[in-house]
Amino acid sequence: MELKKTTCPFCLNGCTSAVVFDGYQYRMEYPAEGAVNKGRLCARGNSASIVVDHPKRLAYPLLDGRPIAWSEAENLVRAWRAAVEPGQIALVYSRGRGTDEARRLCGLAAELGTTHIACGHIEPENAFNARLEGTKDAALTDVEGAQAMLLVGDVFNTSPVAVGRMLDARYADRKNRLVVVDSIRTRQSGFAHVFIQTRPGTEPLALVALAGLLEEKLKVDVDVLAEAAGVTRGQLAAAAAVLGAGAPGFVGAAAHSGRVRHPMLYSLAAQLVALKAKMPFVGFRETALPEAGESFADLRKALVAGEVRLLFWTGGLYPYSYAELFPEAAKAEYRVATSIFVPDPSVPGLVLPVIAELEKAATATTYWGPATREPVATPLSGARDFGSVLELFGRAEEKELPVPAVHKAGTVVEMAKKAGGLAAPPGDGFLLVGEKKAVGLRGFYDAEERVSVSPADAARLELDADSVVRVTSPTATRKFAVTVTEQVPDGVVLVGINVHENRVLFPLVTDEVAGAVTVAPVSVTVEKLTEAVQPPAEHVPDRRGAAYPVN
Amino acid sequence: MAKRLVLRIDYCVGCRSCEAACRSRFKSEARVRYAEVTAQAYFPLSCRHCAEPLCVAACPFDVIRKDPETGVVSRSSFHCVGCRSCVLACPFGVMDTYLLRSTSQKCSLCQDREAGPRCATTCPTGALQYVEESELAEKKTGVGIVARSPHWRRP
Repeated sequence: MELKKTTCPFCLNGCTSAVVFDGYQYRMEYPAEGAVNKGRLCARGNSASIVVDHPKRLAYPLLDGRPIAWSEAENLVRAWRAAVEPGQIALVYSRGRGTDEARRLCGLAAELGTTHIACGHIEPENAFNARLEGTKDAALTDVEGAQAMLLVGDVFNTSPVAVGRMLDARYADRKNRLVVVDSIRTRQSGFAHVFIQTRPGTEPLALVALAGLLEEKLKVDVDVLAEAAGVTRGQLAAAAAVLGAGAPGFVGAAAHSGRVRHPMLYSLAAQLVALKAKMPFVGFRETALPEAGESFADLRKALVAGEVRLLFWTGGLYPYSYAELFPEAAKAEYRVATSIFVPDPSVPGLVLPVIAELEKAATATTYWGPATREPVATPLSGARDFGSVLELFGRAEEKELPVPAVHKAGTVVEMAKKAGGLAAPPGDGFLLVGEKKAVGLRGFYDAEERVSVSPADAARLELDADSVVRVTSPTATRKFAVTVTEQVPDGVVLVGINVHENRVLFPLVTDEVAGAVTVAPVSVTVEKLTEAVQPPAEHVPDRRGAAYPVN
Repeated sequence: MAKRLVLRIDYCVGCRSCEAACRSRFKSEARVRYAEVTAQAYFPLSCRHCAEPLCVAACPFDVIRKDPETGVVSRSSFHCVGCRSCVLACPFGVMDTYLLRSTSQKCSLCQDREAGPRCATTCPTGALQYVEESELAEKKTGVGIVARSPHWRRP
């Protein structure tokens, strides 16, 4: 049995993981010599063997959900390619495509002469690409030796392996301090010395106010921003006392869909606090994809205007396969996508099978520097590598991607003022907020059939542990069992966003501050159902044993 | 000398990596599960490998046995008939009532792996550890949790 090591592709922590093939199935191994993780892996990392062995891996092209031969698929792509003008082709890369592959796609766009090339990874975490002038990237030693830490958002669920070092630092000395800023009272807040709970989507306002306390020259109206964020000046002062004491430390932030209203401001505000506290910064996330060509918002406009006739989407199929969220995709006459799994529900157009990240060599970007990935599994028979799929459209050399924009502190303060004016006061309605746990990779371990509400809201709606509610958003409706918990503030309904059924509840919206397409908390109606519905058990993952669900 | 699985509860963040590692190896069989008693109390639910295991006493077919040298309580999946006697007998409720492939789900501390249980190896924060019995006394656990956060402290 051969043990093959690689860098885990499921987040940017750069953990060393290994897969063993015992002649029958793949299984995980945990090499202790991994510099970053020392053999530790999170729930997502542990899914690597499941991904390569998955019964729903796509091994043949699909046309409107029907299996076809590769030769037929090749002929179709060539015919579609010939039927449209080069400028009518749109190329989109998303999660799962590496930076080198994005460069190749960029080169292809230049070769074809189309301006329609965009990054389809619209998760708020991609805003961490934007940098604030003067901020420094954190190194592992900064985390290990931290005496003061600020975590914004749910870092514990985004990069659990990195958290081990943070907890070691937190417990190393009684004087060490952890500050958490988040809208949800997550478990992370249970480890915090200072916890600042903001209204959902207003975290950056509290952060800019905190930066204003750290440096008066910024001329921030602390009280106005604090009020808009639903926090007190005293809470911010307590955080400022920790971060401004000159102790070594770092600022870390995590963002995911349905939690953040202004992703760009969120990223820059966290960096602003890091800058003013003279600390390095790290944006915890699952993937890093640079922007190229036009924005996703412009791509949508081009689709609506009929400027795009052939849409080629490669990488993760969110939001491409979500007709409720991205109806513009249907405007393209010809649609080609790549996938490693059989899309469920089925996707119109052509879907080409490609090999998984674990089956190819690549260069990886991590928080702590570059790393390399080695193939740990034999490529699935029938699936092709990305390069050979790209050749169906044309041959192209790699082209450099644009350098992410660098912003100034003054811009962040202005953006915060604008966002402060947009912040809505709490009302009687409900706000649906997303939660992304590391356990939920493609719903392998959790079907996410529950929502969490506060005890006050549960009393208002007369909900108990056996209740079932219907949550209706502008885009979808779903029934949920209810968990009543103090972790959730009043007026908020917290839902996991790993599964397709929950993701469709969140419409794609435009960030009013930076203009980008994002997935923000959304107003919903919640009604108690009186019909007899068997609520799902709380921690009973897929029990069928034979197959794992795929979304 | 026998080794034991120990939980440093101060470090548990409820990430369920232990459960994922177990499921990944045993193909959906969660021999280590995860319990969430309240928002503040959550931990891996794993077999204690008791000194006098009640599951061993309850098994009508002697499928579950305790190794006198290592102390590991394990069951043979070939001979288990899925009667759930062990599930009912377990005083800690760590054995799932659900039968997978018609057998009970029983932790064997990954006896197929020299480096020890996968759940302990994979634990991202080092909350679960696999240590010699002699080291148990040195492992302080629960010290930090009482002073962990003013937010969770009892009024």
